[in-house]
Amino acid sequence: MRRTVAVRQVAAVNRFGVTGLAVAVLVLALVATACTGGAPSGQGGAGGEPKGVIRIGAAGPYTGDLSKIGLDSLNAIRMAVEEANQAGGVDGYRIEVEVGDDAGDAAQATLVAQKFAADPTIVGVIGPMNSNCVNAALPIYEKAGLVIISQSATNPALTEQGYRVMFRVCPRDDAQGPAAARFIVEELKARKVYMIDDKGTYGQGLADQVEIALKELGATVTRGQIAPTDRDFSAILTRVRQEAPDLVYLALPNPAQAAALLIQARSMKIQTKFMGGDGLKEKDQLIAGSQGAAEGFYVTAIGRDVREVPEAAGFVKAFEAKHGAMSIFSGQSYEATNILIAALRKAGVKDGKVDRAAVRDAVAATSGYRGILGFPVSFDSKGDVLGGSIYVLQVKGPDFVEVKAYPIGGK
Amino acid sequence: MSFFAQVPQQIVNGISLGSVYGLIAIGYSMVYGTLGMLNFAHGEVFMVGAFGGWLAMGLLLPFLSGPTLLLPVTVAASLTAAVVGVATERFAYRPLRRAPRLAPLIAALGVSMFLQNAVMLATGGRAKTYLTSAIVSPDAGVMLGGTFISFLRLMVVAVAALLMLVLDYLVRHTYTGKAMRAVAEDPEAAAWTGVSVNRVVAAAFLLGSLLAGVGGVMVGLLYSQVDFYMGFSAGMKAFTACVLGGIGNLPGAMVGGVVLGLLESLGVAFVSPVYRDVIAFSLLILTLVLRPQGILGRARGQRA
Repeated sequence: MRRTVAVRQVAAVNRFGVTGLAVAVLVLALVATACTGGAPSGQGGAGGEPKGVIRIGAAGPYTGDLSKIGLDSLNAIRMAVEEANQAGGVDGYRIEVEVGDDAGDAAQATLVAQKFAADPTIVGVIGPMNSNCVNAALPIYEKAGLVIISQSATNPALTEQGYRVMFRVCPRDDAQGPAAARFIVEELKARKVYMIDDKGTYGQGLADQVEIALKELGATVTRGQIAPTDRDFSAILTRVRQEAPDLVYLALPNPAQAAALLIQARSMKIQTKFMGGDGLKEKDQLIAGSQGAAEGFYVTAIGRDVREVPEAAGFVKAFEAKHGAMSIFSGQSYEATNILIAALRKAGVKDGKVDRAAVRDAVAATSGYRGILGFPVSFDSKGDVLGGSIYVLQVKGPDFVEVKAYPIGGK
Repeated sequence: MSFFAQVPQQIVNGISLGSVYGLIAIGYSMVYGTLGMLNFAHGEVFMVGAFGGWLAMGLLLPFLSGPTLLLPVTVAASLTAAVVGVATERFAYRPLRRAPRLAPLIAALGVSMFLQNAVMLATGGRAKTYLTSAIVSPDAGVMLGGTFISFLRLMVVAVAALLMLVLDYLVRHTYTGKAMRAVAEDPEAAAWTGVSVNRVVAAAFLLGSLLAGVGGVMVGLLYSQVDFYMGFSAGMKAFTACVLGGIGNLPGAMVGGVVLGLLESLGVAFVSPVYRDVIAFSLLILTLVLRPQGILGRARGQRA
């Protein structure tokens, strides 16, 4: 059946001969140019017809078990870019977002990095979001001189290796660790802590930092691990019940997983305090998703919730009107994108091109940037963010309530 | 010492988890019995069923609560899974019935990815919460010594056992069941005696998917959460249970499920829970090497 069709097509080509083919190619070419030529004018930027296009990469977990957090970040990145385009883009050039999905997986993150590095029109990257992905992709970005601003990779080691292209707008775990430990020991008076992590770079890194700080303060720590895809926690919770700790610390990046764990802990009659890191500070999945089991749960947060920052009110309103309740890293994604765009404007477009090295230097020179995070953003020589505090919050009813603040660096 | 103190609790955990593995494994086994093919999309059918149950629960919650809610939710989940399962067979596998063995296997992987991504897009990648407490309070149960036996886990085991008995009756005593066993024996000879092979295969997918849907609700209630990703690992565990019990053997699938659940739960009492999957898949490899016919063996039990 299929063969006869093919034969007929060949016959048709023969009948029209070479002229037929040439006409077909011409028509195709016309359609193609019409498509590419038509698209930008449809966007309707304030500066009229854009002179051209420059692109930034967005690397993050847009599929897989972290896709909710990833997609909420991508939406924030796109929002920042749309707003910048409405304000004339960069020197009249329109900014486009190139999406690179790493699914939170280090191997995929390197593929995304190679793709971005090889594309000369990409002049800066927001992400990757997961520490393990940054860790794997960083050498590739460094070699290409392509600046990356991560909105959420908190592993301390990332900026300790001398790479020049790495920046982040989130404080490091070693700022979060001591704050969490001080709160556990000084405020909650807990002496015996059980820690659960998911073997990931983020979870294990955070757990290590908290453990070191806890031991310095004289608490005893028992560690347990689960896998990122686990949803049955009966085994580890049976161990927790056996140990009877004063507090269980969840070093997990996925609030949905933590919510399931909290519900199952309640159903096994485990009545102890629970605490977690910044990754779990997510209303929709942790509080609503846990059917009340998260009541009283403590989290440390790197920086203040953008919903509570007056400067961010406009962003929050616009984002939530379009995409619904936002996740923890949406605000930081928006801020990181705006910092990158500001740097692009400073570096400027020359002969239709943007110099990657100039963009990197402009990002590094960011000083006292007043965006929506509620503190002036600068970077130190390693690329770590300066300013801000670590906050401890507690779930009360449908919301997180601030209970304590520790300034970063104020050990 | 503390390790041994957890053993009774881990046995309770293992049996309830294992009976869910068994429910899903039956679908694998049935399809393998009748078609000789591994339906790797079965885990996704289970996942879609779980979401069907979640939807029904959301719709019915204003009107019903308590154990009466369980029946309509389970029925809705089963029907959703059945529609997807039967449609998969009709449109993805039947056209490949005479193709080389690799083709339906690849089709199964394709269906699996399709379903996973379809559900991801439909749910925005978010985990959905099962309001377990609306059916049975998760912390209700009896405390025996240091072991907590929740009514929820008892209910899961009871439902699985009941369905197993019904299924056993169907396969032994109804026309469809006998036809299924005939096709499993020899499809060609069965066709000659007047059995419609297409209908028998469709029936195998239907029954398997119905059970997977029930399994979806049970997992949703136990874990209090469903997401588009849950089908993959559940499918792999069910496959392991299937091989362990003797693939193609229905009581074997159930036995394999419970044994797997028990070994996993007891195993992680002694080593870190991250090794749960290592235990499961080592068991799979060991079974394949040492006793490929599984615990109950194919020769003694009936294939269907």
